[in-house]
This record gives sequence, structure tokens and C-alpha cells, in this order.
Amino acid sequence: MITLSSYLMISLALFLSGLVVMISRKNIIAILLGIELILNAAALNFVAYTRFVNDNIEGHIMSLFIIVIAAAEAAVGLGIVIRFFQMRESIHIDDAAQLQS
Amino acid sequence: MDYTIWAIAPIVLLPFFAFVINAFIVKKFTKLAVTISCAAILGSFGFASKVFSDFVFGKYAEDYHIHKVFNWFDLSYGSQIFKLDMGIYIDNMTAVMLFMVTGVASLIHIFSTYYMAEDKRFGRFFVYMSLFTSAMLGLVLSDNLLSVFIFWELMGFCSYSLIGFYYEKEGAGNASMKAFMTTRIGDVFFLLGILAIWSVVGNVTFVDIYRAISDGSFNGAFALGIPLATFAGFSIFMGTIGKSAQFPLQVWLPDAMFGPTPCSALIHAATMVAAGVYLSLRMYPLMDAGNLTTLIAYIGGITAFGAATIALVQTDIKAVLAYSTISQLGYMVLGVGVGSYNAAFMHLITHAVFKACLFLSAGSVIHSLHDHHTHEHVQDMPRMGGLRKKMPYTFWAMMFCTLAIAGVPFFSGFVSKDRILGDALIMGIASKSYIIPALLGFAGALLTAFYMFRMMFLTFFGEPRDKDLYDHTKKETFSLNRNFPLLLLSVFTLGVFFSGSLTGQGFVKVAGERYEWFKVLITKPKVEKFASYERQPWGNTDIKSNFQLSKAEYDPTYGLPAKEAHHVHHWHLVGALISIFIAFTGIFIAYMMYIKKAWNPGRWVSMFTRWYRALQNKYYFDDFYIGGIIKKGLLPLNNLLAYIDMGLYDRYAVDGWEKVNRAFFTVAKWFDNIVVDTVAVDGTGASVRLFNVVLRMVQSGKIQLYFMIIVFTLVGFIWTL
Repeated sequence: MITLSSYLMISLALFLSGLVVMISRKNIIAILLGIELILNAAALNFVAYTRFVNDNIEGHIMSLFIIVIAAAEAAVGLGIVIRFFQMRESIHIDDAAQLQS
Repeated sequence: MDYTIWAIAPIVLLPFFAFVINAFIVKKFTKLAVTISCAAILGSFGFASKVFSDFVFGKYAEDYHIHKVFNWFDLSYGSQIFKLDMGIYIDNMTAVMLFMVTGVASLIHIFSTYYMAEDKRFGRFFVYMSLFTSAMLGLVLSDNLLSVFIFWELMGFCSYSLIGFYYEKEGAGNASMKAFMTTRIGDVFFLLGILAIWSVVGNVTFVDIYRAISDGSFNGAFALGIPLATFAGFSIFMGTIGKSAQFPLQVWLPDAMFGPTPCSALIHAATMVAAGVYLSLRMYPLMDAGNLTTLIAYIGGITAFGAATIALVQTDIKAVLAYSTISQLGYMVLGVGVGSYNAAFMHLITHAVFKACLFLSAGSVIHSLHDHHTHEHVQDMPRMGGLRKKMPYTFWAMMFCTLAIAGVPFFSGFVSKDRILGDALIMGIASKSYIIPALLGFAGALLTAFYMFRMMFLTFFGEPRDKDLYDHTKKETFSLNRNFPLLLLSVFTLGVFFSGSLTGQGFVKVAGERYEWFKVLITKPKVEKFASYERQPWGNTDIKSNFQLSKAEYDPTYGLPAKEAHHVHHWHLVGALISIFIAFTGIFIAYMMYIKKAWNPGRWVSMFTRWYRALQNKYYFDDFYIGGIIKKGLLPLNNLLAYIDMGLYDRYAVDGWEKVNRAFFTVAKWFDNIVVDTVAVDGTGASVRLFNVVLRMVQSGKIQLYFMIIVFTLVGFIWTL
């Protein structure tokens, strides 16, 4: 039987794995991937709740928004990474510890 | 007649704006500056003519006047009233004054375009002239003593600037300083008087003062143990003494001749010296209430006679006119003293006209006489003579004015001076204390006729005494800016303009009969009429009195005691006959001395050597002031004060205080170093630094550390929940 809690467990797993990736990996692109995982966990939550609690369409729309935002964010994030790489010849996160270039 | 502010304000503001524009904007463009100044004063004359014609030819009520006030500031708190009103006050006297001042000043401006044209500071001259005229007009329009005082000081400054106009000349600077400082003595008293009045009346507008006199506010008020009306009246009269060059502060006026001649005409005829007499006329009720009239009559008489005697021996043409100015001002003050209110004012007006003309004529003479050796203009009468043929227009203008000032019948000077002398005579007969001023007045009139004709004869008649100078002088051709002012002014020296017509028929109709307009228009302020007087703020219509002058109320004796009143005509006739006799005697003596040369003035000089020397030294007034008062009195006082300041205050108080402070500072310095600096300031710094060592570790810039912190914080929060 697939219940709300099953979805939430998956969502939690996604969220935690994203968090671990964000905290532990030193590669900026990997950190961006971790962020994507967290966003997807949130989207999954929306869909699950709207399916089991309200049964209307609003949660679905919200998850669509999250996907769009995730795409935009990925574009911006990758742009920053590229620019950062051009300046520092590195995508190591500890090289980005300073505000000044 | 409904006046708004725009019908009156331009009278003052046009010359003032001319001053501002010329002084701060136009500056170097001399011709433009001259045009602006002349246009402004002519415009002002236009507005003043409107006021004048409304008041003189309009319908009369005798005490018709415009009085509009606004509150300048009000710092009253509870029962403490401290507020000041400013405003304008126009009655018949103001209207006549406005017309005279703007008219004479316009003509002087026009003449100045001739006289000053070659001067290198042509433009600057007009800057001062504009400011001067506007200050005088402001003074005339003022409704209270404080704004009178402000404009009074403004004129003092302008006279200072104009007297010292040729500052390259040695003496001009000193003369301007002398004029400024001497009048300052009077001004200090004037200010005291204003304060004294304020302390009783609570305001210093003329009408409030009149009301206070009529309702007895002055009774029982004392200042320094003197009745307050006397104290205030005397103080204000001291202002007049300073400004109008009365004895004993007359010393500045002759020195003021260092200024350019047109400015002498402005200062000594129309504006500054007239302001003093104008003020004492305005404040006449106060001086009357303070029982000061006898003193004023004495001051006037002494000045009129004393200055006339000094004028006898002067050889500088402008010096003669300067002393004659002092002398004539003495007559005006004498007129105030003997209660001859309207004659004193009339003499102020007639004198302004003929004296302006005399000064301008003298300027015309001086300007034409150019010494080719020294490249200077000649003012010495011994080097003149026979100029009648060279300068016919100037001669005739000056002749008319001389006839007027000498008191020859049918000229304005006779009309006004004779009336003053007549009233002085009546007062002298009524009360013994006035006999001496009256006699001094008559004696002065004799001398006036003599020295004025002496000046005329020496300048215009006889053979030229300096042939070289005479031959180099160009013959006068009629030019508008030179001769027009002279001739116009000389026309107005005819008595008919002031006394009505030749047949004694006046211009003004009162209850079906005609009277002389001056007598009807200018009357003593009747203080009791101001008892229930309400002032009008701006914007309201004028105060129109319902009081129409009736014959019964018109008082041809100008309020003399009833016992003497019916003798008035009789004694006036006697006075007039004496005046005429005296004038012709003076002229005759001058004629015998300087035309016929039958009597030798040199013999008189050798007979009265000591007196002659005293006169040449102006009765040693300057020597007394400088050698006596300043060197013996003020200088030691100054040294004493300097010693107190340097030797006592500086040495003991200031330096001693320094030592005390030094000791205190040693302790304070230690406290500052140890307690404040080391413990408090540095301690705070150290503790902050300690905290910052820990805190700095957090802000590493490593984003993953931040994530960690966020996560652990959140987890911690959730845990505690």
C-alpha cells in the first residue's frame, strides 16, 4: 500500500542526500546538483500532499513552478560557475571563500 | 483717496533698489548706474507728487492722515508685553517733506551728472546718493522712533561715505570720521530716549507717544531722578543737536565740506540735517511736555547767531555756506523752541530749496574755476570776483537764493524766517526767558544778510582778482543738467509759493475764506486727539477724520497764550519791519565794504583782532574738543581703562586663572591617561578583541561551513521543541 508517508520518506531521503552532497562535496557543480535534489524533494512533497490531503490541482502547479525555478537557478548557477572558473581556473568551493576577486 | 502699499512703498524702494542694483550688479557700467539712479529718484518724485497733491490740493480734514502698521515681532509672554510695530505714517507734514526731499534730490541728481561727470568714481557717487535719499525718505515715512533711528543711522553711514568720497585728499577721511563720531554722541542719547519712552509707553510709534502724553502716562515716571518726559525729550533733542549740527555739536558740519559739492547740497539742505529738525518737530509734544522749549530756544538762538559770526570771516565759498547752514538750522530749532511749529517746518522746506540751490551754484562756480598750475578746482573767494559776466545763469540763480536767505521780502526765506523771528519776539515779550534767543535771532539775521552778500560780492562782482584764473574760465552756456536744476530751484525761492499769493490771499479755503496753505496744513500735533486712537493694519482703508477744519478752530496764533494772542498781529508786523530793516542794513554794510569799498573791512579786523582770531578758529571749539576733552579727558581715561584692562584684568584675573587651571589640568591629565585612556578605552578595546577572536572563526567565507551551522542550528531548534 502506497501512502502519504511513503512519499514523504522518499522525499526526506532525497532532501537528506541533497544536504549531504551540499555540505560534503567540494565541487561547485556537485553542490548545485545537491540543491537540485533538495528542490525536487520539495516538489515531491507538494505533489504528495495535494494528492492525499486536498486532491486538487494547486500543488501540481506549485511543483511545476519549482521545476521552472530550478531550471532558471541551474542556469544562473552554472553561469556563475563558468565565470568563476574563468577567473580562478578552479571549481573548488574553498577557492570561493573571499568576497573580493 | 485710498492708498495701498504700492502707492507709497515705491517712494522709498525705488532709490533703494537703485542702490542695490548699482552697488551689487551694475558696478562698472557707470553710465547705466547714473541712468538707473536718476530714473529711480525721478520715479520716486512722481509717487511723492501724487501723495503731495492729494494732501495739499485734495479735500482736507486738518488731521487727515494715513497710518498703517504691521507687527514686526511680538515676544509678549503673559503680562510682559514686548512687541514692536513698524509702519508708515503720512500726514500733511510728511507729504510736504516727501515732495521736498524727492524734488530737491532729483534736481541734485541731475546736477551731479554735470558736476561729477569727470570723476573716476562717478558711478559710486550715485550708489551712495541713492541710498542716502532712500534712507531719508524712509525716515520721513516712519511711524515710530525705532525705524526713524534705523534710517537715521543709515544716513549717518552714507554721510560718512560721501564726506570721505575723495579719500585721497588729506583731511577727507578725518572729516568723515569726525562727522560720524560727532553725530554718534547725539545718537547715543537718541537711543537712550527711545528706550526711556519704551519703558513707559511700551511702544515707540508717534501716535502712542502722543496718546501717552495726553493720558498722562508720563506723569510720575522718572528716569535717573528726572521726569521721564524731560529725560526722553532731552535725549531725543540731543539726537537733533548731533544730526542738525546745533551748538555744541556743530563742529562736524564745516568739515563735511570735504565731500563733493552736490553731496553737500544733499546732506546740508534736503536730507540729513533736516532730519534732525524734522524729528524734533515730530516729537514737539514730548519736548513741550518735558518743559524743554526754553532750552531748545536757547540752543537754536546761540547756534543761529554763533554760526553766523563765524561765517563772517570765512574765505572758502563752501565754508560760508556751511556756516550759514548751521545758522539757518539754528533758526529752525529756535522756531521749535518758541513754539513756532509751522514756521520752523516752513523754514525747513524753504531752506532746503534755497540752500540746495546755493550749494549747487557754488558747485557750478567751483567746477568752472580750474587752476592750470595745480590742476585743482578753486574754492577761495579771494581768487574770484567779477564772475557775473562769465556765469550769468549761475549768478542769477545764486542771487535769488541769497535774497531768500537774507530775508528780503517776497522771497521764501523772508516768509519763513520772519515768522520764526516774529514768534520769538512775541514769546520774548510774553516771557522774559525768551528775550535772549529772540535778540540772538535778530542779530543773526543781520549777520546773515551781511555775510551772504559779502559772498556774492566777492564772487560775482568787482574786478577779477585772479586775472589768470578768470581768463581761463569758460563762459557759461546753458546746459540742461547744469543750469536747469539751479534755475528751477531759484524760481521756488519766491515767497509766493509758500505764503499764498502776493496779495496775501492764500491757496487754501477754510470755511469760505482763503488762508496760507502752510499755516493751515502744518499744525502742532494735538495730542488729545490721539487719546482714543486705533491703529490700522495693512490692507484696511485709511483713517479719515470727520473733523473738517472750521474757521473757529483754525488758530492763527498757533496756540500762544491767550493774553498775548491779540497782540500777535501787531507784534508780527513789528517783527517783520525789524526783519526787513535788518536785512537791508546787512546788505548795505556788505555793499559799502565790498562794492563801494568805502568802509575797509581790514580796519575792523585790526580793531577786533582777538575776536577775528577767535572767529577764524571757530571759537576754538575744535581745539577745545581735541585739546581739552579728547587729550585731557578721554585720552587719560582711555589710558586708565587700558591699564585696568592690561595691568589688572589681564595680569591677575586672566593669568591667575591660567595658573589655577594649569594645576587642575595636571591632575586631570593623570586621570585622563591612567583611568580613562588605559582602563576604560584600552580595556574596552581588549575585551572587544577577545570576543572577535572567537567570532572571526565563524566567518570564514566557506559556504559549506555556513550550511553546517544552519543545519545544526535548525536541528538544535527542532530538538528543543
